[in-house]
Amino acid sequence: MSPTPRDFAAVVAQVEPEARRLIARYPAGRGRSALIPILHEFQNVEGWVSPEALAQCAAWIGEPLAVVESTASFYTLFHRRPVGRYMLQPCRNLSCVINGAGGVMRHFREQLGIGHLQTTSDGLFSYEEAECLAACDRAPCMQVNLQFVYDLTNEKVDMMLAQMRAGTYEVPPLPQSAAPAATWNVTADGKKSAGAQGVSMPNDPGGLGDASGVRMIERLTKEPYPIEVRPTKERLVADGAARLGAPLQNTSEH
Amino acid sequence: MPVVKVLTEGIGEFDLRDIAVYRERGGYVQLQRALTEMKPADVADITMKSGLRGRGGAGFPTGRKWSFLPNNGRPRYMVCNCDEAEPGTFKDHMLLEETPHQVLEGILLGTYAIGSNHAFVYVRGEFDRGYRILMKALADARAAGFVGERLFGTDYSVEVTVQRGAGAYICGEETALINSLEGRRGEPRLKPPFPAVKGLYGEPTVVNNVETLATLPHLLKNGPEWFASVGPARSPGYKIVSISGHVNAPGNYEVPLGTPLRELLELAGGPRAGRRIVAIQPGGGSSACLFEEHLELGYDFDTMAANGTMLGSGAVVFFDDSTNFVEAALALVRFYAHESCGQCTPCREGGHWLEVTLERILNGGGLDSDIDMLIAVSHQMTGINLCPLGDSIEPFLASVVKRFETQFRSYVRSPQREAIPA
Repeated sequence: MSPTPRDFAAVVAQVEPEARRLIARYPAGRGRSALIPILHEFQNVEGWVSPEALAQCAAWIGEPLAVVESTASFYTLFHRRPVGRYMLQPCRNLSCVINGAGGVMRHFREQLGIGHLQTTSDGLFSYEEAECLAACDRAPCMQVNLQFVYDLTNEKVDMMLAQMRAGTYEVPPLPQSAAPAATWNVTADGKKSAGAQGVSMPNDPGGLGDASGVRMIERLTKEPYPIEVRPTKERLVADGAARLGAPLQNTSEH
Repeated sequence: MPVVKVLTEGIGEFDLRDIAVYRERGGYVQLQRALTEMKPADVADITMKSGLRGRGGAGFPTGRKWSFLPNNGRPRYMVCNCDEAEPGTFKDHMLLEETPHQVLEGILLGTYAIGSNHAFVYVRGEFDRGYRILMKALADARAAGFVGERLFGTDYSVEVTVQRGAGAYICGEETALINSLEGRRGEPRLKPPFPAVKGLYGEPTVVNNVETLATLPHLLKNGPEWFASVGPARSPGYKIVSISGHVNAPGNYEVPLGTPLRELLELAGGPRAGRRIVAIQPGGGSSACLFEEHLELGYDFDTMAANGTMLGSGAVVFFDDSTNFVEAALALVRFYAHESCGQCTPCREGGHWLEVTLERILNGGGLDSDIDMLIAVSHQMTGINLCPLGDSIEPFLASVVKRFETQFRSYVRSPQREAIPA
């Protein structure tokens, strides 16, 4: 299955009515509360949360993009890059581990030829070893595109993967509006010590230790900060509104 | 066998997701009774008298939690915490999927009792099916006139907003949950102020667990004395216990508090053939282990606390003599390291260090001193964080390292160790 050609305007048109309804569920002036639900909507349509989707969320809830980015980067269920058609998430927590999850995870890695937080080159499978999924009575368990699969064995895994490859698996594949990269995680899991994803380390591309970071530090220390681009919330929101439309208003009573 | 059916009544026999079935079995009768015949304070009074303690983990008395709300005329919010993610716990997930109307009726009763008109339900992001079941139940309840404006011809109106999380264990902590409901990063807030004073949108807020709220219809139906008379005086009532690990019939079992751990083990089918239970984690991933000599202890809040552990969320994991406790410890330590929100340095860095150290031990590259470091680091990172997450590593890790030290030491005595310069 190749990625579905992407028409972001159509995506926005599809999400907007739901975004309006979501914002109206919260007390007036609390549109930011709808942010996580709206991000879910974008991901339901596209399979991931794109930079354009973040910008559109910012415009809708009337907050700067940085606010949306800060929230989106905290939650591991939001895929900040495209992922495979099947998100495979076996549980690696206690009750599963003491009931054979280690062998099942090893089998997954061997069969898929990839590791934790990686996507196969054909774009079909993404693999993440997940934390306790609250199904410990049926260990080892997993989720496939957020649907539960219980009592895992290597045979069950083989059958599942074969059905997914044949397009006959019971759980529908995820939408995929762009070809996935080797990983969807902004920072590889092992390199960070903070819990949140998306924290760049000093020597990562784009981190403070690389050439662009050094140039940025030089500029900030040698040149006066250009006052006309100092971002105020109002200015950032107005900027978003100019490009993406005015914030959605909540006119409800409560 | 002390198995009882209160919250779990009818599950597996009837389709309680169907509002008609739930109503046939007495559903929403207590809601109607409360709204038409009782004042909010009466419902709160029954809850206080029942001695009900929170079922989410901390075990704080529910009636007292409500009593902290100030009478300042501000809007108030009820938040139902269904972000169940404590390792080993799977009861709220079950209640949500099997009996969503009971959960909803409990939420509505709690919202009425605290004088609020708006309830929020925060459902863990991974519970996609449960979320859809609850949304359907909410739509059915609204159509039946149990949610919305002027219920049962009274002046009382209530709105319920259900929101899915997005994969963060820390959002089960009440102030992190509130931040997440506001569209922020799920980082716990400094307390005080407590949510009862300044919570959601800066207004007085109560955050209660699913099982806690689902108990309310039964308290109204049977009276507070019925609940208070079950189990130990300071830890009364029935509790759903999620039993997993090395047992023949893992699952959710509803029992009176105070039931001995050995009876829980028997309920769950006992140990596997030819095996012996050597350890019990009685209250979720954050609790310290008990051992075979503790099997006669009664399972209740105070007995667990008196023995250096806790009842927590009611998740009991049994370990038999085949367990590799180094692997088990790594699974939990890695979990807390992964789920640290990163605000407090001891939790963020300590968890990471312990994870890396345990990996090294498990891979045969550990040093003898690593074992002592596990104890030292996990102890040093405890009690100095904004929220209890950073304090959650030490109990299990320290208890199993001390008890099964030989097993941990056997890893560092492997030949690979010689390759590592001292």
